[in-house]
Amino acid sequence: MAAVDHDIAHAHDDHHPTGLMRWIGATNHKDIGTMYLWFSFIMFLTGGVMALTIRAELFQPGIQIVNPELFNQLTTMHGLVMVFGAIMPAFVGFANWQIPMMIGAPDMAFARMNNWSFWLLVPAALLLISSFFVPGGAPAGGWTIYPPLSVQMGMGMDMAIFALHIMGAASIMGSINIITTVLNMRAPGMTLMKMPLFVWTWLITAYLLVLAMPVLAGAITMLLTDRNFGTNFFNAAGGGDPVMFQHIFWFFGHPEVYIMILPAFGIVSEIIPTFARKPLFGYSSMVYATASIAILSCIVWAHHMFTAGMPAAGQLFFMYATMLIAVPTGVKVFNWTATMWRGSMTFETPMLFAIGFIFLFTIGGFSGVICAIVPIDIQVQDTYYVIAHFHYVLVSGALFALFGGTYYWLPKWTGHMYDETLGKWHFWLSMFFFNLAFFVQHFLGLAGMPRRVPDYALQFADFNMISSIGAFGFGLTQLLFLYVVLKCIRGGEKAPASPWEGAKTLEWTLPSPAPYHSFETPPVVK
Amino acid sequence: MKEKKAKLDGGKLLQISGAVFWAFFGVRKQSDLELDASTLTPAQVIIGGIVGAALFVGSLMLLVSLVTS
Amino acid sequence: MNVVNANSVVMKKLLVFTVVMFVFGFALVPFYEKICEVTGLNNLLQADTLVENPQVDTARWVTIELDANVRGLPWQFKPLQRSVSVHPGEMVQVMYEISNNSNREINGQAIPSYSPQLLAKHLKKLECFCFSKQVLKPNEVRQMPVQFMIESNLPADINTVTISYTFFELGTNNAAAMRDSGNRS
Repeated sequence: MAAVDHDIAHAHDDHHPTGLMRWIGATNHKDIGTMYLWFSFIMFLTGGVMALTIRAELFQPGIQIVNPELFNQLTTMHGLVMVFGAIMPAFVGFANWQIPMMIGAPDMAFARMNNWSFWLLVPAALLLISSFFVPGGAPAGGWTIYPPLSVQMGMGMDMAIFALHIMGAASIMGSINIITTVLNMRAPGMTLMKMPLFVWTWLITAYLLVLAMPVLAGAITMLLTDRNFGTNFFNAAGGGDPVMFQHIFWFFGHPEVYIMILPAFGIVSEIIPTFARKPLFGYSSMVYATASIAILSCIVWAHHMFTAGMPAAGQLFFMYATMLIAVPTGVKVFNWTATMWRGSMTFETPMLFAIGFIFLFTIGGFSGVICAIVPIDIQVQDTYYVIAHFHYVLVSGALFALFGGTYYWLPKWTGHMYDETLGKWHFWLSMFFFNLAFFVQHFLGLAGMPRRVPDYALQFADFNMISSIGAFGFGLTQLLFLYVVLKCIRGGEKAPASPWEGAKTLEWTLPSPAPYHSFETPPVVK
Repeated sequence: MKEKKAKLDGGKLLQISGAVFWAFFGVRKQSDLELDASTLTPAQVIIGGIVGAALFVGSLMLLVSLVTS
Repeated sequence: MNVVNANSVVMKKLLVFTVVMFVFGFALVPFYEKICEVTGLNNLLQADTLVENPQVDTARWVTIELDANVRGLPWQFKPLQRSVSVHPGEMVQVMYEISNNSNREINGQAIPSYSPQLLAKHLKKLECFCFSKQVLKPNEVRQMPVQFMIESNLPADINTVTISYTFFELGTNNAAAMRDSGNRS
């Protein structure tokens, strides 16, 4: 293949374009990784502004700031932007930067395709965001785009569907790249069972992506033809079934949940051993547990739709299967704890975020098990309890791991140490405000406050005010993160090749910042 | 994945099912893992995993039918 | 180069897998309908089979409110009575009337909806205009029956239920799909 030939040639070529062309035509995995990370951070701020608008509206009962139509658009778009624009691309950015360096490869397997996967994201994001400005506005039926609402909406929905198609294609291309890189480009001696856990979790995540994303593409294609070409997949009047969309969507949607958390497990599994100065406890168990979670994630989708109408036998099946996922997940939490046990721990910012991850992710995991119990789920379905649950796993899970990973690898990426004091401030403020914002939402949910509604009954007022204060604190704290990262890029204490005493993986053998082309002659792993 | 599959004798089957069982539980001894990695082919593990998943689904359905009957 | 070839082999395998999964997404549609058919879920468009000698619970009255709607077609659709009171286990017949107020022939299909949802389990319909599509000539008026029974094991705390029908217009596209699913699910 021409593109592949070019990639290999490129790897032996020291010359690279500068200025804007360096980024537009980027085929270097580090450049593309950087672009992914900045893209996802911009999307994170965009989705964050939507979230803060939602929380501002919910600060007090009544309608003050946005009208209900816009409120529904904001909740929907907040979900879509954060899931497809922020969390997923951020992990792909980490994969681009780290996987070649961690397995001793010169670059990703298909560098040209890597460039496409990134640059497809930009028009997709613009398409998604600009749906706010078309007649009828952005999609407003929830990020899960259930029919019949999603069939009835205006052209903003078509734009969102196209955006999802493009983002899906980009993720699939990215995954193919990652799988091929991991399978074929490892340095001599780097057997599968010697790979760092971050690489392992990404390998399994990439397989989940090529398994699940095409199913989403199929579901939204059916939605599109229902909307525009008179088919009746989901139109009850035409013999279709809207509940079927939920089944197909969640067949994608549940693996998607693990797509967003498995790489986070990988990052935490790199950070904890480094700062505990002990090898990861139960490396092989971690690999097996990851694979197990991935397989189980494909047979539990209907726990998202217990109230959609399902025979009791079906509810029981999905309830049991869901509760059993807690076993391999629990194995992981115990392994991290055992890694820290009697280690010589120090608490630099990455370690703080990793420990914060374990603590808060476990809370989110437990509320997940609670939601898996059918009679309880029927009570808390579509309430703030569910909101609290998935923000505990996605914000204090996926996002905290991303922050931890950023601090961990910033010295390698920029060649400078970040400001440790400010990093610690970032962690503690995030920790405090995150819990302020989301812990009280458990109470709101148990008391029956429904999600996706701009107004609420008076008895929910106090907790909503607390939650809004927490959300604004959390949002503003992230500007501190931006400042720390910018400061680190611009200068700071020079970082040695391996700034962390306990770090053992291959990327720390390279100088900091990592040279533009690394491991052109593969290292030999003993 | 392309090489001819090793002959499946009883010991091999036992090893595959052991690997798959422990994989579902999420715990595995390091030495066993190294043995698996060196002696089993990916195709064997994948097929074993699919069979394991089918068995898992089947046993859950059996349990459900026992509970609901 | 060796790595290049090996890479493109892996890529081709993964692309094939992607296409297979895309097709699988569509294959879930007939699979889903098959499951509904086998398990007997969602048979809105078929007559129920009755148990022999249903027990009539004469001590109990259930009020059935009849509701009728049209969605996007120039018909008038109403029940001839607003509500009926029946004993559980007793066979009832109610009449609905549709009239086409336009000058064109229109195909319509009624979709039932029950409140509370639980009623769906305990409502047995022998005859309904919703089992097939209705074709109305310009300005035609038609009266149609629904014959049904509420099972006597309807939970005791339910005294009032609502049976609602909504007529949708069947376009040319919809018709084939409608016929198909009418036979299938």
